[in-house]
Amino acid sequence: MSGPVETAVEFAGIPLRNPVLTASGTFGYGSEFGPFLDLRRIGGFVGKSLTLEPRFGNPPPRIAESPAGMLNAISIENIGVDAFLEEKLPALPEGVVVIASCFGTDPDDYARLAARLSDSPRVSGVEINASCPHVKSGGIEFGQDPELLKDLVRRVREHVSGPLIVKLSPNVTRIAPMAEVCQEAGADGITLINAIQSMEVDVETRRPVLANVLGGLSGPAIRPIALRMVWQASRAVDIPICGVGGIASAEDAVKFLLCGATAIQVGTINYVNPMAAGEIADGILAYAQRHGFSRVADLTGALELDRAPVS
Amino acid sequence: MTESPPVNGLPIRTLAEVVENRAEGGGGFCLTLSVPGWPGALPGQFVMISAGACAAVERWDPLLPRPMAVYRGHRPAEAGGTTEVQILFKATGAGTRLLAETAPGQRVRMVGPLGVGFPPPGPDQRVCLVGGGTGTASLYEWALQCARTQPVSVLLGARRAQELVGLADFEALGVDLRCATEDGSRGTLGRVTALLEPLLAEAEPGELSLYVCGPTPMMRACSQMAVRSGVRCIVSLENNMACGFGVCLGCAVPMTEGGFSLVCRAGPIYDARDVDWAGLP
Repeated sequence: MSGPVETAVEFAGIPLRNPVLTASGTFGYGSEFGPFLDLRRIGGFVGKSLTLEPRFGNPPPRIAESPAGMLNAISIENIGVDAFLEEKLPALPEGVVVIASCFGTDPDDYARLAARLSDSPRVSGVEINASCPHVKSGGIEFGQDPELLKDLVRRVREHVSGPLIVKLSPNVTRIAPMAEVCQEAGADGITLINAIQSMEVDVETRRPVLANVLGGLSGPAIRPIALRMVWQASRAVDIPICGVGGIASAEDAVKFLLCGATAIQVGTINYVNPMAAGEIADGILAYAQRHGFSRVADLTGALELDRAPVS
Repeated sequence: MTESPPVNGLPIRTLAEVVENRAEGGGGFCLTLSVPGWPGALPGQFVMISAGACAAVERWDPLLPRPMAVYRGHRPAEAGGTTEVQILFKATGAGTRLLAETAPGQRVRMVGPLGVGFPPPGPDQRVCLVGGGTGTASLYEWALQCARTQPVSVLLGARRAQELVGLADFEALGVDLRCATEDGSRGTLGRVTALLEPLLAEAEPGELSLYVCGPTPMMRACSQMAVRSGVRCIVSLENNMACGFGVCLGCAVPMTEGGFSLVCRAGPIYDARDVDWAGLP
């Protein structure tokens, strides 16, 4: 085994002490994890998606369990951008890297929100949620139409000089064109995937389990789909990619790095194990040591391919 | 046991060892766990427990832990030691059936204590605790604590005698204990609300505090009766949740004043008047 491993990476222009972030919607506003995890052990976290005004979510039931996963239809319930900037951000320890997630119903909403967040010195970058699978307007509409998405990213880019990341929806036939338009419109990085549109039924009551009928599937069940999409997107664009979807262990995280991700996000497993992100960061380091990598950054795209893929 | 008050510590995540898993009849189980570094809990708080024992290989199905009331074992562990924490549950779905299979020596993942505890009754009030099914679990330590300072009545209801979980422990408290079963196999024939009716009829509004935990229809009925009588009614709500500490937002319940409240963080204890019962699934 060689010397110490450099764990730091740079994603979308944001220096991270390691490639482990946590996914929007699974990590609250950070402070909820205080009893379990020192947030300075991980690369950073992406906060719950914010809107210009506070927003209530859907009526219950909002969640359902499914094989190795769960469905949710929360619908961007959040405290609003003002409370986030005034109350949540100042409560976080110094040195915690914060990426703020933005949600809106039209490009102007997104642009105003992203600009406000980007102006805060405590916000290292903004992530556009263009892919929420369970709200009636906004979100996924942008994530499923390349022209709408390009227009959205371009509008936000005009108002944001700092790091700009776009979170893509998996609910598309081809992911590469979606990644390409983000790059063309000036995004600094891409996060994928968001939850997969899904539904569940209670046969005893013959009703959908979720009050919203449709929800988003997340958890280990979706990991191979996420991995495939990260790999396809990484071959289509030059901007860095953050891989997310069902990561539950360091080995899972390494798979995303090998398939081209520069950083990863830990999502649903935070609910099950609030210490998971820290354990995964340690595990990636151990993997790099075991395999003789001197820099974790060198894992990105290190997938060995013996033949070209069929499609 | 010492008489020191229970401590409400910051939640921990830990591996707890199964000391005993006793079938209680009627599909109920009493699980005794040895919990290292247990910070103590307030009566009414809960824990998240993995759906079954830890296996040789980490398992992701069923994925989510289950919220369960702390039945007994509220006191914190001595430095470096463990506390025995008991949980009452009924094997109804995939997660609880796996938990029912756990054996002494196996370990389960646990996060807790979570949520808030019961608010105290007025100094001169009588206390009435109403439990239905495994809902009785959240009431035992509260009955024990209240009985030290004021008169306590406990009303327990279930479908049949075997499903009156924790009955022997409540009997040992020496408080006024009344039971109702839907098949008449123990106590009054019918629902627990039939026991509550005369108690409320006798009570002056200010002299009684009611604490209720059980299935939603039973809590809704008790709440309506209490409101009609002008008696303060505190309920302990159950809900599906993925995390238990305010992040997944899955356990939201509608409030009378509009909006939602998270059962895991603002609850599970609520004043019954604050809950929009019509909006609960």
